[in-house]
Amino acid sequence: MATRAPRRAKGEVLHDGFLRHAGFRWLKIATLICLLSIASYMLVDVTPHHNGGSWYGYAMGTIGLLLILWLTLLGLRKRAMTRGRWSLKAWTSAHVYLGLSLIVIATLHTGFQLGWNVHTLAYALMMLVILSGMFGITVYATLPAALSNNRAEMTQVQMLDAVRAIDRQLHDAAQPLPHDKAVLVRQSLEQDPFGGSLLNRLSGRYPRCATARAQAALRHWTGDQPDTGNDPLEKIDALLERKQAMLARLRRHLKLKALLEIWLYVHVPATLALLAALTAHIVSVFFYW
Amino acid sequence: MSFLVRQISLTADGREIVRAATLSKPQLSLGRAAENDIHLPDLALEPNHARIEQVDDRTIRVRATGTLGFDLDGRTVLRAEIDPAKGAELRFGGHRITVSRGDDGATILSIRRVDAVSEASEEKEESRVFSLRGLLLGKRLTAWGLALAILIGFLAIPIWSYASRPANDTRNIYRMMGDKSWSSGPLSQAHHALEGRCETCHQKAFVSVRDSACQTCHKNVHDHAPAARIAMARAQPGLGGQFLGHVAAAFGKPPEGACVDCHREHEGAGPMQPAPQAFCTDCHGTLKDRLKDSKLGNAEDFGTSHPQFSALVQTLPGKHPRFSRASLDTKPLDDSGLKFPHDIHLSATGGVAKMARTMKAQYGFGDALACKDCHKPTADGTRFLPVNMERDCQMCHSLAFETIGGTMRTLRHGQPDQVVADLRAYYRSTGPARPVALGGMTRRRPGDYAQGQLYHAWFGAVAARPSRADEAIRAVFSRGGACYDCHTVTAPGTNGQPSWQVLAVHQPMRYMMNGWFDHAAHRTEKCESCHAAPKSHDAKQLLLPGLDSCRTCHGGEKSKADVPSGCAMCHSYHSGEGAPWAPAARSTKKDEADRPKELDRPGLQRVPAKAGTQSSRQNWGPAFVGTRGRLDT
Repeated sequence: MATRAPRRAKGEVLHDGFLRHAGFRWLKIATLICLLSIASYMLVDVTPHHNGGSWYGYAMGTIGLLLILWLTLLGLRKRAMTRGRWSLKAWTSAHVYLGLSLIVIATLHTGFQLGWNVHTLAYALMMLVILSGMFGITVYATLPAALSNNRAEMTQVQMLDAVRAIDRQLHDAAQPLPHDKAVLVRQSLEQDPFGGSLLNRLSGRYPRCATARAQAALRHWTGDQPDTGNDPLEKIDALLERKQAMLARLRRHLKLKALLEIWLYVHVPATLALLAALTAHIVSVFFYW
Repeated sequence: MSFLVRQISLTADGREIVRAATLSKPQLSLGRAAENDIHLPDLALEPNHARIEQVDDRTIRVRATGTLGFDLDGRTVLRAEIDPAKGAELRFGGHRITVSRGDDGATILSIRRVDAVSEASEEKEESRVFSLRGLLLGKRLTAWGLALAILIGFLAIPIWSYASRPANDTRNIYRMMGDKSWSSGPLSQAHHALEGRCETCHQKAFVSVRDSACQTCHKNVHDHAPAARIAMARAQPGLGGQFLGHVAAAFGKPPEGACVDCHREHEGAGPMQPAPQAFCTDCHGTLKDRLKDSKLGNAEDFGTSHPQFSALVQTLPGKHPRFSRASLDTKPLDDSGLKFPHDIHLSATGGVAKMARTMKAQYGFGDALACKDCHKPTADGTRFLPVNMERDCQMCHSLAFETIGGTMRTLRHGQPDQVVADLRAYYRSTGPARPVALGGMTRRRPGDYAQGQLYHAWFGAVAARPSRADEAIRAVFSRGGACYDCHTVTAPGTNGQPSWQVLAVHQPMRYMMNGWFDHAAHRTEKCESCHAAPKSHDAKQLLLPGLDSCRTCHGGEKSKADVPSGCAMCHSYHSGEGAPWAPAARSTKKDEADRPKELDRPGLQRVPAKAGTQSSRQNWGPAFVGTRGRLDT
């Protein structure tokens, strides 16, 4: 049975990321916009010097404002996935490259006059949004491969289940232990593998890991004893070893996922703050005209 | 006396499985170790954790054997006595034991595991634990919080501060913080006192700054030209300018030519910068095309397109001189009424130089006369005082005619009538020196009165005295006489004048009335590099340097000349008599800014200034200092 290939727009290739969309069409457009802006900035002689209040400054400011408003609309647009020339992918590609061109447009709008005021606040917030976006692009481009490698074909639920399985075995194996040793194992069991601070999550380093501590303490006891094969401590040691390995994989997974996510916690709120600052910027400029 | 132990566990689908066992013992052991009556596989428990014993019909006692206790109804205790009929809830680690009493009187212990084996085994919501949710404040909350904070801090508070301002606000500028965040940059030095008082200039919300706001303080500013003429003179702006014009008009901005068009504020602390060249050349670059009747040539750029200077020269000297403006290209003559050959006086070889050398010690001359020996600058150094006979000439050109008791009598300069009177008095009051031959002991011989004899010489002279005075007066005022050398003299009878008349001399201090030139700023140059005085043989020759001379150093504002010079360096928009406004140099220290300085530098002698000059000097003192500082470097 012949299946019909899904209709594709001209020039669209399957498995074409939003960065390479349509042969870097939006990269080219954005570069052109930047070059035109810089050239006009050089050619237009604004006296006494460039600033946001000259006709050129107003023009750049208007372009910048419209761009920002349009870029913000991605938040709405992304909820409706479509294909073709005006596909979400095309839209995202334009979002990325036009957003980058805003660095040039807005900086030229300022005429390099910055200060401690609401106008520069808007500029700084815009740069923060762009920089966080650039971070996002970078991690989107580099981390998914690492994420996939780390998972080793496991799903998240499977990773969690693996930890649970080890925990159950640990629980059983520790039953014969005297209380002081059982406490160590219990600490490992009772530490939340998803706990820790944001910093732990982003760095993937957990210096207070109870499992590592339990194992270290256990080895302190078992270190000078021969492995007889039926010492429960030996079994627990092996289980803790496995748990550590599993936790390391899980934590690497969490770190990568956090990196993929964290920039949005800056990008989105900073965008809304930017819209507020832009409102204040524009109102204030015309209020005290 | 028995216990009914019911172990309750849950199947995967949540169904309860109850395993019940009756233990007919008065005492039960409880712990993690397998040999206990109640074996709870819980790492939180000790191998032998507690004992439960029947005390009497109505009471059981629970005792912890080790140091770890258990919870009774939420409180940690080491021992407890419980009435099974009333019931209780015990908690050992992750297990809960409910105590109750059966119908047959047996104590029922219902045991249930309530905690999962480990934290990981607890129920987890995947989308939550694997994401950053919970570790960070939600995106939506942060977003709205930030946006709201910004709208309040940077929009609501400034507007409130504006609206709540009292009409007569006398607060210190440093206390007015409300709308500070709106300022796009600090105000210039002169307007610093208005910082924070936005409404001084921005008088109405959403109405751009009007000239009337500036004129509240700047009341005496001259207009450049009649408004209608300025409107005619203005060049059609480029596409961008036209667009801005339309936008500005649509938003109710005043048309071009407003104060703020040239005087931009919020451009940084420090002195306000002078208006750039473009503001002038908008009109003056192609002025002739639009104002056909203008006498002004087009001026686009000092270096490339600027009309030759026009000097105000004297065409008719005298008591009522006549002046006219003439371009330096026409080599106009300037007749001040004085005769003076610069070349003879500046020559290094002639008699003048020889005389100067004899007077070196007394007057500080060099091997020849220099310009400074006769020309003295004004107190500010901007230009030169008129040459003064008594101060600048008389050391050589003496008007002395007699010594009486060591005191020199001189003719009075500038007062011809007094000269005449003095000479007449001289000839009347003193006789000629008596010849030695007329000594009393000498024998006199007849015939001594004869023509050519000694007696005749003396008595003849005595007899002729009054008429000789007229001769002396004529000699002084005629060719070869002391006055005639420098002045134009008219004899009595000419034009109906009864006595000798000397033509009044008028030495202008300024030739270019619409441009400003500051000699002090050029003191590193030699006089001769601009003024061709050593070659001038006639005082009528105007020694002003032309445009080309200036252009050796000065070029347009954006040129690569040694001294890029905008229009404002020499010209003032609000035409007045003084120097064009110039900003004080940023490097000028605050405490020095208000003091005239460097006037005592060698090469520029300080001359007692007239009160008027001094005060006008101080009006632009800081500017003067700054300008020089800039040009000197």
